Formats: sequence, structure tokens, C-alpha cells
Amino acid sequence: MVTARKIDYFPYLLLVPATIVTLVIVAWPLVETVRLSFTNSTMSPIEEYIGFANYEKMFSRRFPEVIARTFIWMALSVSFKILVGIIGAVLLNAAVPGRTLFRILVMPPWIVPIAIGVFIWGWMYNGQFGMISGLMQRAELIDGPLEFLAFRNTAFMATIVTDVWIGTPLVTIYLLAAMQGISQDLHEAAWVDGASRLYRFRRITLPLIMPAVATMSLLSAIWTFNSFDIIWILTEGGPRNATTTMIIDTYKTAISRFKYGEGSARAVMIVLFLSVFAGFYFLMISRFARREVIE
Amino acid sequence: MRVLSVLLGSAMVLGVAGIASADDTRIHMIQCGDNTGGGVAIRDRLIAEWEAENAGYEVDIEYVPWGQCQEKSTTLASAGNPPALSYMGSRTLKQLAQNDLIVPIDMTDADKATYAPPVLGTVTANGQVWGAPTAFSTKALFWNKDLFAAAGLDPETPPKTWDEMYEFAKAIKDNTDADGFGLAAASFDNTMHQFLNYVYTNGGAVIDDAGEIVFNSENNVQALEFYGRMAEVSQPGPVAYDRAKLRPLFVESKIGMFISGPWERNLVNDVNWGVAPIPVGPMGQPGTLLITDSLAVFKNSGVEEQAVSLVKWLTGPDNQLEFEIAAGLTPLRDLPGVQALRDEDPTWTAFLDAIPTGGPEPFVTDYVGLQDTINEAVQGVVLGEMDAAEAVEMAAEQLEEFK
Repeated sequence: MVTARKIDYFPYLLLVPATIVTLVIVAWPLVETVRLSFTNSTMSPIEEYIGFANYEKMFSRRFPEVIARTFIWMALSVSFKILVGIIGAVLLNAAVPGRTLFRILVMPPWIVPIAIGVFIWGWMYNGQFGMISGLMQRAELIDGPLEFLAFRNTAFMATIVTDVWIGTPLVTIYLLAAMQGISQDLHEAAWVDGASRLYRFRRITLPLIMPAVATMSLLSAIWTFNSFDIIWILTEGGPRNATTTMIIDTYKTAISRFKYGEGSARAVMIVLFLSVFAGFYFLMISRFARREVIE
Repeated sequence: MRVLSVLLGSAMVLGVAGIASADDTRIHMIQCGDNTGGGVAIRDRLIAEWEAENAGYEVDIEYVPWGQCQEKSTTLASAGNPPALSYMGSRTLKQLAQNDLIVPIDMTDADKATYAPPVLGTVTANGQVWGAPTAFSTKALFWNKDLFAAAGLDPETPPKTWDEMYEFAKAIKDNTDADGFGLAAASFDNTMHQFLNYVYTNGGAVIDDAGEIVFNSENNVQALEFYGRMAEVSQPGPVAYDRAKLRPLFVESKIGMFISGPWERNLVNDVNWGVAPIPVGPMGQPGTLLITDSLAVFKNSGVEEQAVSLVKWLTGPDNQLEFEIAAGLTPLRDLPGVQALRDEDPTWTAFLDAIPTGGPEPFVTDYVGLQDTINEAVQGVVLGEMDAAEAVEMAAEQLEEFK
């Protein structure tokens, strides 16, 4: 005799609170943003549906330039973070006296509240009173005060340097953890076979931490893409929009200028780009997981 | 038992008090800043007097930090939950009025006549007054007398024209370790404010009384050209400086002159300073940018009539002057009490004399858009990436969107 299988509702019941919270704080604002992007919503309570007009307007202006700038800013910043992070992790993984102290000292940029850290950098970039310009003058690299935030290229690089300073500790610690997961036997065997330090790093360490590097690169790309406070505090997107990235442009449009419709269209573009990154991230995670199961 | 009695008694007292205050209609007022400063006690007393005259209404002041207060008021109004009244930069009033979020303040001709016409211009659009001015500032030129002397200039004679200002600044730059002038060109609202001082001392304008953009004029091209020229004799990298960052340079005697408001008089006393009207351009007359902040009354709060009454009470001539003196603000009206202020402290003169020929912050429908457009033109010229005529023409085209 075949009996109907009884459905156990209890697990679904447990999911209800989380589902409600997710719908309220994630899904609803997202749906609302998409809806607003098709309206002419401003500070007036009255709004009208205007189709794709906000998107057309956005791309008819200098938004493509803003997108390109955002990707360049993100690519440079993430590359430096990963590069410095790998070097830092290798150094912190070395058996040197006081290693624990060095590991602690690497954390402050990440622990200090971002706004305070960025204000300090703002003063360091000052030509008249700042440390960087002062040291460069003493070293006779420049013959007068250099205002790093006053020129397009130097301001662009200054925001990247500050972002790298804030973001690198997390990358370093993450990669250090990955390095510590590598069996010491592999290094010892290679050493017995006469492999140099560089060769061991290239053929053992780097391949084995590559999943961690890839994961951190993608996560860092997502965070950097949305990095707002560093640029806003240092330059507010200037000079002459040289540091205006997509998130800065969205804030200026939606919040400063109360153009909620146009701002939402920009926000939707950000969501689309980040969705692609997130898609890659989850794809990679599942591949690594599958590889680990096979191995 | 005694404890229980005290608790029950307290609960009854609180309950009665709650019922009493619940009967009062709340008038929600958003005020920028905090409840400290010279004018707060005066304002609190005036509000208490108004409440005594208007039984059944209770004013609930919410202090919001400067950076967020206007955004908060506007967002609340957009969401259909407006405050009754709020402290707003007058520059935002036209945008709020156009979006039907605020009500006009009905002023009689006699009321209007108490203000200098340019001051009234900061709150008037389409023939209606959209806010009552409550804070006011003008600008003047501060100079460092010791640096003037060190550069071989007469320390008691400030420049009166743009050409003199350039020559004096050049003399300081050439003959001392300091730079001649402090120039602001950062991506910040007071860069536009600083530039407008040059526009108004050269007979220029951004928007006319009919609401048409008149930015593309020879007056403004000259003003922008001169702004760029001043970069030659100013501190290096003006684009990294907003006006507030110039003060440390002045206090450290790193710059010989800078343009700012009356609040600096109490903050630059480490140097031997003087203050004079802003030098005049070749096509203009003495002037200054006039900036007012206003109390605006929002629509749909249900207490618009009472809010207007409160605004009028707070900003009436005598009450407003008492508040201004206590808060150290530039007086909005030329009342008899203002002469006493001049006599007591002659450094007020440079800030007060230019009011009748001053110009308002442009009244447009997208203030931040206007600010970004003008700042970009200023930065383009200061960085040497554009010439003044090209920058002014480009900006004028973009400004058409905001009129």
C-alpha cells in the first residue's frame, strides 16, 4: 500500500523570519529602486512613469566616462591591495622574532574608523602642512609645496593610495591564513631537493593560495567598487570630476540634487555590475568546493 | 508600601502631565546645529513667549547637525511627513517652492521695506517671499599688515581694485616667504561663493530678475579670468583649498590676504590684521555676495498658519536684532541698534557697507547643479585647462537647465 508522504513544514517555518527580514531590508528597497528608475521622481511627492528616459539621459551625458573611471580606479586599487597583501603575508609568515607583534601592527589601518583615517590622509596630502610634501621637499624631489588633491592625476592616485592603505590589512590577514594552511612538509621536501626560496614561493605557495587570492580579489573588487567615504571626504569627486566614480555620481544625483529617479537609474547600473561580480564569485566558490571534493 | 505609594503617585502625576501635553498641538521645528551658542537662549525665550500667546500649541525643536539638517527636512517633506518649519539655506527655497513643498510668507510692503532690496532678493521668487531670513553673512578682504610692511607696502592701505590686489599680492609673493593671496577652488560650495564675490564686484550676475540665465557676459568672463590670474600669486594648488582651509594659512602668515566673513574677526587674532571691502573690478562697483539662511514653513503639516505666525514673531525686526547681536551674526536690517554695533566695533563697517550693492546667491531650481557647474568652470580656469571665455560659455549653457 502506498501512503502519501507527510510534508514536514517545520523547516520552512524556521525560514520565515529570515525570509521576511530579507524581503523587507533587501528585496523591497531593490524593487523600489528599480521602480523609481522608471519615474521622474524628485523632491516633489508627485511622480510620473517616464519609461527609459532616465537611462537614455544618463548615457547621453558623461556617464560612460564615469563607468570607465570607476573600473580603472577599482582595478588599480584591488591590484595594489593584492600585491601588497601577498608581500605582507609572506613577510608575516616568515619565522622572524616578534612576528606576533608585526601581525598586530598590520591591523590599525583596518581598525581605525575610516573617516578618521581619511582625514589624517587628507592632512598628509596637504602641501603646506602635510608630511608627504614636506619629506619630498627635504629630499629635494620637489622644489615647493605640492598639493596632491589639487590636480586631476595626483588626486586620483591619492584616493587610490588611501583606499589601498585601508583595504590591505584584511587582504594580508586573509592570505596569511591561507599560507598557514599549506603543509610544511611540501616546503621541506622542496628544500631538501635544493629548491630556492623564490622557487618554492612560485611553485608551492602561490599555486596553493591562488583560490584565496581569487576569492579576495573578487570580494575586494565588490567593496572597492562601492567605496564612497574615502573619495567623498578627500575630494568630493573633484577636481573637475577626476575622482567621481559611479557611487559618488549616484549620491550626488539622488541625495545632493534630490533627483531620485535619475539617481535610482544609476543605482540600478551599479547593482547590475555588482551582480556580475557576485555571479563570478559564487561560480568560483562552487568550482573550488567541487575541486576539493574530487581531491 | 511607601515605595508603592510614591510610584503610584509619580505615575499619576506623569499621566496628568502627559494628558496636558497631549492636548497641545505639536509644532515640529527643525533647527540646524545644536542647542549651544549665543542666540539659543534668546530664541528659546522668544518661543516661550509665542507659546504663551498661542495657547494649545507647543513648539518642539529638533536640533540636527549642519551636514544633514536640510536634507532631513526636505526628505521628510518629500515623504509626506514634513516638519512645520525648518531652518533652510535660502538658496533652496525656489526648488522647494517649485516642488510645492513650502508655503509663501505673506509680508506687507512695510515688512519688506525693513530689508535692503538685495537681502529680500535672497528669498523672493516669482513675486513671492518663500522664507523669512534669520541668518546673514557678507564678505570682506582680510589683510596681514606685517606681511604688507615686509613686502614694502603701506600696511594701513588695503587694495581697492582688482589690479591693486594682484600687484600687492605679487609684491608679497616676490619679497617675502609668504604667498600673496589665499584662493579657494575646491569642489565645495564656498568656491562658488568666493567666485561670486568677483562677479558682483564687476557688475555681473548669474540669473536676472526675470529668471533668465545671464552668466555668459563680459563681466563674468573678466571675473573668471581674474580668478585664474590670482592663482599665480596665491598659495600653490588652490583646488585643494576651500575657504575654511585658508584661515590656517592666514593665521600662520603664509598668505597676505584672503576674502571671508565676519566670523573670522575672532579667529585670526594671532596676526596683525585689517579688514576692508572687497576690491572692485574694472566694470563694477563695491559689492559682496549676500547669503541668508531662512525659516521656511512646510505644506501639509496641519499647522501652517501657526508656523507662519511663529516665523514672523522670531524674525520680526526687534527680536531678530536681539538674536543677531547675541549670536554674532551680520544684522539683516539697518536698524538704529546697528549703528551702535558699528561704533563699538568699526571692523563691522566693511561687512555692512557693501550690503546695498551686494548680490544674492542665485535662486535656481537645482542649487547643487548650479554649484557643480560653476565650480567646474572655476577649476578649469585655475588649473589652466580652459580659458575663461570658453568656461563661462560652457557653464552658461549648462545653467539653462537649472533656471
